Amino acid sequence: MILSRYLVCLTVVLFVFSQQAIARVEYQDSLSVTRGAELSLYAEDNETNCLVCHGKLIYTLTDTVMGMTRKQLMSGQNLIMPGMFYNSVHWSFSCLDCHSEEFRIFPHSIEARFETSWGCIDCHGYDPNYEQYGFEEIDAEYQKSVHYTATDGLITCWKCHDPHYYTPLARQTQGGREYILRSNEMCLRCHSNANVMGLITDENVDIVLPKHEWLPDVDRHLEAVRCIDCHTRMNDSVLVAHEVMPADSAVRGCADCHSQNSILMGTLYKYAAMESRDEKGFVNGVILRNDSYVIGANRSKLISFAGLLIIGMTLAFALVHTIFRIVIKPREHVHE
Amino acid sequence: MSKNFYHYPVWVRLWHLINAVLCLFLIVTGFSMLYSDPDNALVVKFQRAVSIHNVCGVLLTISYTLFLFGNLFTSNGKHYLLTMKGLGKRLWKQGRYYAYGYFKGEEAPFPVSSERKFNPLQQVSYVGVMYLALPMLFITGWALMFPEFILKKFLGFSGIFLTDQFHVILGFLIVIFLFIHLYVITMGKTPLSNFRSIITGWQESH
Repeated sequence: MILSRYLVCLTVVLFVFSQQAIARVEYQDSLSVTRGAELSLYAEDNETNCLVCHGKLIYTLTDTVMGMTRKQLMSGQNLIMPGMFYNSVHWSFSCLDCHSEEFRIFPHSIEARFETSWGCIDCHGYDPNYEQYGFEEIDAEYQKSVHYTATDGLITCWKCHDPHYYTPLARQTQGGREYILRSNEMCLRCHSNANVMGLITDENVDIVLPKHEWLPDVDRHLEAVRCIDCHTRMNDSVLVAHEVMPADSAVRGCADCHSQNSILMGTLYKYAAMESRDEKGFVNGVILRNDSYVIGANRSKLISFAGLLIIGMTLAFALVHTIFRIVIKPREHVHE
Repeated sequence: MSKNFYHYPVWVRLWHLINAVLCLFLIVTGFSMLYSDPDNALVVKFQRAVSIHNVCGVLLTISYTLFLFGNLFTSNGKHYLLTMKGLGKRLWKQGRYYAYGYFKGEEAPFPVSSERKFNPLQQVSYVGVMYLALPMLFITGWALMFPEFILKKFLGFSGIFLTDQFHVILGFLIVIFLFIHLYVITMGKTPLSNFRSIITGWQESH
């Protein structure tokens, strides 16, 4: 019985670890691996006080009174991967800069375990060094988001941006496909994971992806668009919008994205027109209510402008002719 | 000596009226679709403009087909038969009259008769509009309702984009034609006499 439980735990932990390990290998390819560990003034202190247990998947527990030792598994959420930590933006910190001094004592006291975690804003807010990133505004947006309001603040900054591993993704990847993928992974880590979502909702999380099947060519949309592009209230003044809205407020109108870019339009138009005709018939689906027309979709600014110009010139010509007619007063003549 | 003759039979006047009303709706809704943006509905709300434009386009196609039959089976068709010989000369003559002779009180070079309803400039532009521009507008307009028939790519552009642009350009031509048409019509015996005759059918003349 105990053995089977142990095996289940081991499988779960190994699974989690293997997932994170895959991510880590990718990170380490693009970042210097040992920079932080070599440079950090606290590397040794961190190692002896914390990482000796928390930095290892299997740690050794010692009972000093009875003189017994036993190997234990570190639970996933208490496990810190040193390589990734020393590659993160917070590599230079001591663990105890952020965590209570009381953690020096083992076993950890209950007071220490009830410590209040710092939020991003606690260090980065109102600091001129970080002004350009708009942490204050991000925090204000976050407090309006469903992540805050629907969970009484349970979903903190850390749930998406683990401070131990944080790297400035948007600035590093310069907005390519890799950035979109990583950004979406951040959402899907919880939203496609029943174990995590089960903590806060009874809703079936498996429906996250099927919910997007109304999108034409759904895979390509999800590859090319960040979740937050449709699910947050857009804000130009911060780099990444943080006001995540309830699902029913998400962007659903094709025109919201496709109104100017004619390259995107060809297939979208065809898809929408045929879909609408199949569903509602030609009269209702194409003539009377044709949603495949999108404002400005096939607009050529040049042609639209030239058209107005030529029409204007025609009118000007007629006006000049009229003025001549008034001034010269032609005599009666035969004309149609 | 005034000579009035019955110039426009009932079916032509009826067709002309339907044609005019539908074209006006198409132009207004077409402009709404072309120049509005999501926050700013130009004249007609975008989605309503699309519906009206489609309905009027279909009706205009039907009325145009009936007009084609009318031209085939009545004498009205003969006014749309261009005689190419000396056409350039006649066009010049009529153009010169509008720009110069008209003000000098010269006689119109091609006065209206029951044999000749249109002067050369009118004839060329009416033939161009009725037999070229409108059919192309119908083809492109209907193609946009059946987009699967449009070429995916043409010369590196999206076929739908090109079809749409062609439709728009032809639309502009129709608008320009309409303005010139309305203006030239005021150059009759009195500014309103030609308007009267397309309603009553009777053409006043000297």
